[in-house]
Amino acid sequence: MRILNNPAIIIRHLNYGEADRIVTFFTRDHGLLKGFARGARKSRKRFGAALEPFSEARLYWTEPTGDGLAALKEAELTDLHLGLRQDLDIISLASYACELVEGLIGEGHPHPEAFDLLKALLDHLNHNEPTWEARLLFEIRLITLAGYAPHFLHCSKCGITFSDRGIFFEAELGGSLCPQCLPGRKVLSVSLLTLGSLARSLQTPLTLFEGFRFSSQTTREAHAILEQILSLHLLHPLKSLSLLDRSMPLPSA
Amino acid sequence: MLNSISYFAKLVAELAKFPGVGQKTATRLAFFILTQPQEEAEALADTIRDLKRKVHFCPICFQMTESDPCQICADPRRDRNLLCIVEEPQDVLAIERSHAFKGQYHVLHGALSPLDGVGPEDLKIAELEERLQAGEIKEILIATNFSVKGETTALYLARLIKPRGLRVTRLAHGIPLGSDLEYIDQGTVGRAIEGRQEF
Repeated sequence: MRILNNPAIIIRHLNYGEADRIVTFFTRDHGLLKGFARGARKSRKRFGAALEPFSEARLYWTEPTGDGLAALKEAELTDLHLGLRQDLDIISLASYACELVEGLIGEGHPHPEAFDLLKALLDHLNHNEPTWEARLLFEIRLITLAGYAPHFLHCSKCGITFSDRGIFFEAELGGSLCPQCLPGRKVLSVSLLTLGSLARSLQTPLTLFEGFRFSSQTTREAHAILEQILSLHLLHPLKSLSLLDRSMPLPSA
Repeated sequence: MLNSISYFAKLVAELAKFPGVGQKTATRLAFFILTQPQEEAEALADTIRDLKRKVHFCPICFQMTESDPCQICADPRRDRNLLCIVEEPQDVLAIERSHAFKGQYHVLHGALSPLDGVGPEDLKIAELEERLQAGEIKEILIATNFSVKGETTALYLARLIKPRGLRVTRLAHGIPLGSDLEYIDQGTVGRAIEGRQEF
């Protein structure tokens, strides 16, 4: 049977039986996969700490069989991201990022850019404080990579380019809206500054998280916009949000 | 065919509820029980019944016990100023085997897991805070596992307990006794170097 190998980030693992583990991992060229690691808990030699969540490793596996699980053969640890495990707020944000990848990028779809994005965020959090900027940048970039980017700087219905007042947002209708195209229900009111910040952040390199600074108003508005987009496209609410909301409350006005 | 033997099928269904036991293993176990002498099978049934009737979790530390409170909580020779926090009841047994700890325990019955939605309210953390309120405990030894879940729990507990002015310590981590350095993973070696001690 052919053995495949690829750089991967461990998303989560589940103990199975006496000594085995079922591991969810995100590979660069084969997308999100689930694998069975026989004896992973008993023998530390074959896998070591490489199957811990947030670890980056080169994994070796054989293709999934009938049960949909790849058989994990070996792991070479590249980066344990030890810095991530030393702060509760960082763990919360890293867990959220991993769960978001799981939610937006389906199993088995190769997505090298999404892999690079997640790797860059974990590398960033390994050495830096968790910030709202990092969270929002990750969210908007992943939403875009998953193909759900909304219209920001012009009305998603009539296409008019916005001046500075009276801009609204409704993810279900494709993004930003001018006052003439409003639906007959309450929608988010947003500022051009926030939409501009989000649009500009998409022009920056995918893996860059340093050097961004959003005002508290931009942060709150951008969060409301991205939350709306995510709830539209995620099949289930994310479990990691309960801890993240406690760790990173929204900045006050 | 086996489904037509209702008592057998019922036992297979019950055994298959065990963690890590699937239909095949459950069927094998059921066959084994069937081939045992009558008294062996009845002894197993009695033991399961007794376990549920007589063993419960200690109302103070939440360790398994037959007495109320458990032997460790009731033992006057144990240091009441020192409390060790562990994830599961079997972790208490592991620490007791070392004969190195003379304090008391608190079993959380799990670990925080953001990705699985396991939060502080799902663990015995409110009960821990009640114990700390009593004021007898001076030092907390956090002995959760060295996994992401265990570390998350340790960080959460440290954040919760430190403002009370108690001494908070964490189980040391490093190279296992009797092991060769060349086979130890980079994370463990890194932590062992960070936590090196004066010789």
